[in-house]
Amino acid sequence: MQTIFSLLKRYRLFIIVAYSLTFFELMIELLLPFFLGKMINDGVVNKDLHNIIMWGSIMIGLALFSFVAGVFNSFFAAHTSASFGYDLRDRLFRKIQSFSFIHLSQNPTSALMTRFTNDIRQIQNTVFMGLRIMVKAPLIVIGGVVMAFIVNVKLAFIFLVTVPLLVSFIFWVLKHSSRMFEQVQQRVDTVNRVMQENLAGMRLIKAFLRRDFEENRFVKANRDLAHMTRIAFRFVEASMPVLLFIMNMSLIFILWFGHGQIIDGQILVGDVVAIVNYALRVSMAISMFTFITLAVSRMQASSERLSHVLRIKVDQNDDKKIQQQTVVEKGSIRFENVSFAYPLSEENVLSNITFTVQPGEKLAIIGATGSGKTSLFQLIPRLYEPLKGTIYIDARPTVSYRLEQLRRAIGYVPQNPLLFTGSIKDNIRWGKEQATLKEIRQAARDAQIHDTIMELPDGYDTRVGQKGVNLSGGQKQRISIARALIRQPKILMLDDSTSALDMATESRLLDAIQQYNCTTLIITQKISTALRADRILLIDDGKMLAIGTHSELLETSALYQRIVESQFGKEYKHVH
Amino acid sequence: MSIKHLTKPFRYEKIPLKKIREDKRDKAKNTTGTIKRIWSYLAREKWKLLLVILMVMASSALSLLGPFMVGMAVDDYIVEKARSGLGMLLIWLIVIYLCHSLAIFLQNFWMVGIAQNTVYQLRADLFQQFHRLPIAYFDKRQHGELMSRLTNDIDNINNTLNQSVIQILTSMLTLVGTIGVMLYLSPLLTLITMTIIPMMLLAMRWITKRTGPLYKKQQRDLGDVNGYVEEIVSGQHVVKTFSQEQRVIDSFQTNNTKLRRSFFWAQTFTGFIPKVMNMLNFLSFGLIALAGGILAIKGWITVGVIVIFTEYARQFTRPLNELSNQFNILLAAVAGAERVFSVIDEEEEETDERHARELKTTTGHFRFANVHFAYDDTPILKNISFEAKPGETVAFVGHTGAGKTTIINLIARFYNYDKGKITLDGIDLKKIKRSSLRSHMAFVLQDTFLFHGTIRENIRYGRLDATDEEIVKAAKRANAHDFITRLPHGYDTVLDQDGSGISQGERQLLTIARAFLAEPSILILDEATSNIDTITELQIQDALKTLMHGRTSFVIAHRLNTIQEADTIVMLENGTIVEKGNHDALIKKQGHYYHLYKKQLTGSLNDQNCS
Repeated sequence: MQTIFSLLKRYRLFIIVAYSLTFFELMIELLLPFFLGKMINDGVVNKDLHNIIMWGSIMIGLALFSFVAGVFNSFFAAHTSASFGYDLRDRLFRKIQSFSFIHLSQNPTSALMTRFTNDIRQIQNTVFMGLRIMVKAPLIVIGGVVMAFIVNVKLAFIFLVTVPLLVSFIFWVLKHSSRMFEQVQQRVDTVNRVMQENLAGMRLIKAFLRRDFEENRFVKANRDLAHMTRIAFRFVEASMPVLLFIMNMSLIFILWFGHGQIIDGQILVGDVVAIVNYALRVSMAISMFTFITLAVSRMQASSERLSHVLRIKVDQNDDKKIQQQTVVEKGSIRFENVSFAYPLSEENVLSNITFTVQPGEKLAIIGATGSGKTSLFQLIPRLYEPLKGTIYIDARPTVSYRLEQLRRAIGYVPQNPLLFTGSIKDNIRWGKEQATLKEIRQAARDAQIHDTIMELPDGYDTRVGQKGVNLSGGQKQRISIARALIRQPKILMLDDSTSALDMATESRLLDAIQQYNCTTLIITQKISTALRADRILLIDDGKMLAIGTHSELLETSALYQRIVESQFGKEYKHVH
Repeated sequence: MSIKHLTKPFRYEKIPLKKIREDKRDKAKNTTGTIKRIWSYLAREKWKLLLVILMVMASSALSLLGPFMVGMAVDDYIVEKARSGLGMLLIWLIVIYLCHSLAIFLQNFWMVGIAQNTVYQLRADLFQQFHRLPIAYFDKRQHGELMSRLTNDIDNINNTLNQSVIQILTSMLTLVGTIGVMLYLSPLLTLITMTIIPMMLLAMRWITKRTGPLYKKQQRDLGDVNGYVEEIVSGQHVVKTFSQEQRVIDSFQTNNTKLRRSFFWAQTFTGFIPKVMNMLNFLSFGLIALAGGILAIKGWITVGVIVIFTEYARQFTRPLNELSNQFNILLAAVAGAERVFSVIDEEEEETDERHARELKTTTGHFRFANVHFAYDDTPILKNISFEAKPGETVAFVGHTGAGKTTIINLIARFYNYDKGKITLDGIDLKKIKRSSLRSHMAFVLQDTFLFHGTIRENIRYGRLDATDEEIVKAAKRANAHDFITRLPHGYDTVLDQDGSGISQGERQLLTIARAFLAEPSILILDEATSNIDTITELQIQDALKTLMHGRTSFVIAHRLNTIQEADTIVMLENGTIVEKGNHDALIKKQGHYYHLYKKQLTGSLNDQNCS
């Protein structure tokens, strides 16, 4: 809560102005009956038409004046809540951008999305209402009680019993309801997750005819959400009649004791009437409280969830001592006794990996699915930190570079090629913001995708990504390779990125990469691809089995022999 | 702080209304139509709604009766100082207050139920609609933007139903009652009070003309922000590896600023509504005072009437004020509902042709005869003819983009072919129900789809009534059993949607296990083993062979050695078939396939010679 509200401080001034204007309107409301009394006493009783017109015009003038104040109020309130919402979204988005992979795997996309969509909206709505309507009801309650005490302390005494009772009741409700709404929001998470999975896997769901199955999953999540929402809303809304009843009972006490005191002559008639009047107003205002309690408890739940994300410590900050200027110059890589395990997992994915890659060298990494190839890749740009051991780039530990400098030197092509909504041009330019059109074309040519792009209806301006045209897996792979090449990286990392390419295309691609003067790491399944590298690193079950040239491995490694046989079979042996 | 500092934030650029209306993204929608549709959802709960209305009437009446009795008590026992009988009156009062609270409780209780049922139904309808839409619909939209409709837009409707309906009903009832009493007291002053109504209507029209489109724009901008966030957050690994954080923050800010702007204007204008009402409230007070004063001098009315009347005028504008406050929420809800309904109204995937029928069993005999297909007017496939006899394997070979996957999409009828004919067992594919056709097929695609759930549940997806033993058997046949049992929780390991924890290859093994479980007559393997290492692939080749035995199979693979045993190899180039035949025949022919095959083999051998 506090994290969230500290953001409101910036708008202090606007909030003060907005509240002052609301007070001004309230004052006019209170002044009008006063002027009416004046008009009756001076004008009507004395039959002074001039006086009546004067007071009448003043009242009409005040009404117009209140409108001007109200219009200003609108601007101030709208600005505060619009900017507050902007700030919240901005904060959250920046925070997510600062997350490391570990945080991202602990906070699934759908849960982060609900914070963006639902939680922020809830907070923003409440703040906006808080600036405009929600102040009035508490003010009337406080004002009414204070006025009652001024009129007659003895009779107003009853408020000393009921008001603390009401306040503690409201707090009790708030405490429980915010917990309920937290559960509601969690279920919103679930509904969103199912929905997101469905949107992502629509093709397969259709292929497997699993619509009913998915619908059942959704129905369950949806029903759970509706159920919890029902409970939470009903709990809060049931509290209102209770509040009202408590307040009305105090009114009955006032009448009873007031009557007794009147009979004893201890109190003036006007005082009793006034206090009864205030009690009526207070109980009227209390009907607004459900509304307020609902809004506040939903906001509490949402800000708790939001603060939780905002409070996550980002551990991957650069060491302050790091020199700004250190850049990767050559691109040599050295692993020294590197072991790695994913957070919250006991099993090592990689153990004791040691090898060196010279600048400009091409190293193929080969191994069974799940042997730890991708994990090894992810350690180099520090997407994860190793458990033990050190990774050196240009003879400096990777941690001695600023993250940005380190990653700037790396062209990473992930296994799953992901393009963002935008044109093909934009997507390639992602690798290098200032890239000229010429550079983009060159990168695309080298990635063997230029010709395909030119055949598309809008060429380089064709829209791709979630909102774009359907590209095949191989086309996406090559665009994401172009995206990496355009950075002119010192280290190029291809994570099985040529799997969907046919041999001829792949071969031309590897030729083109040759011209880029960079250290290249290629994860691959295909021996034919591995053969294009200078050396081959063979890993199995997280352990390094061998490193060397094709002929060396063919002689020393039984596993390697088996892999080669599996791909070339009889023909290979025959030629060999 | 100076005035300048205060006014600076208000320089939000104006949003021209004409532009919003011209935005193609919403076709001309009408608000009344939308409200009618919301009503059609509410109408399912007619009886409950009737009960709510009855309770609102009761609570409104009781809320008037309470103060009335308090007034009586004050008159008789406080002012007149009557000695006995107060106790009885107070007991009655307690009963009234009890009933009042009870009525409020019940109206809220039922209304929450109605609202939740309605919102539940809307969400369910939206979800079902997503499944009825053609694949192409999703290709052109951001997932986050669609999700925004499920969350924000439906949430707006929820708020309205929970709060506004009762509020509006209460206000209307109070309004009718008050007008009645006023007419009884003084028709002339009532007429004067009523003069604010035309002013009110004019003001409301001026405001709603602006707020309606602005709300629409606000929800749309919100959808854009959410769409962008969803896309970036799910692609976060790319953002990170390219260290593009600053850049996405910048584009996010552009979206966010747009939202702030439309939010500001929408809220400012709706903020005017209660202010206008307030002013009219004060104005009517002033008018009554002025007119009443003059009338009183002329002796037409008494001072008492003026006092009572100003009080009633307040009561008259109070419900109007409430109504206008609710208007705010109502507008947001209508804007949200329109966006929800616009998805529901979207054209569905072409339904089955009229005479389409069920296909109980199939031998899997496929025949393509001169099939043409174009996507967005770009011809993709031209004149495709081939045959797959029952139990045969047909492999598609060709460069990336030659049209291999498109053929598969036609076989499963994700796309509709334009010209030519595809038959299964001699029956035109267009005469078979899509669901029936697909029920005989199993797919292993390059993109794996796993959902949040255990491994067991994910495999069971292939056949929902499969027993645990059958699942283990399928996993064993797909060679997935070993790695599964090595996981800390075995078959009960929970997978994330993004599948963190298991590798791409392992994910594929699970989907292969799924296909084993499905026991289909027709098998489609689209680059199924591209992400699996060759030793593992070798291990499952045997299993795949068993799976393909007796089933018509369509295979796309880049590694030619995996398809050498296919009965027919169809070589595609630019959407046309250039060669057709089995491996040996095509090798003998020394054509396109031969060259491709040689390149794949010798390309590697040459390199090997160099090293």
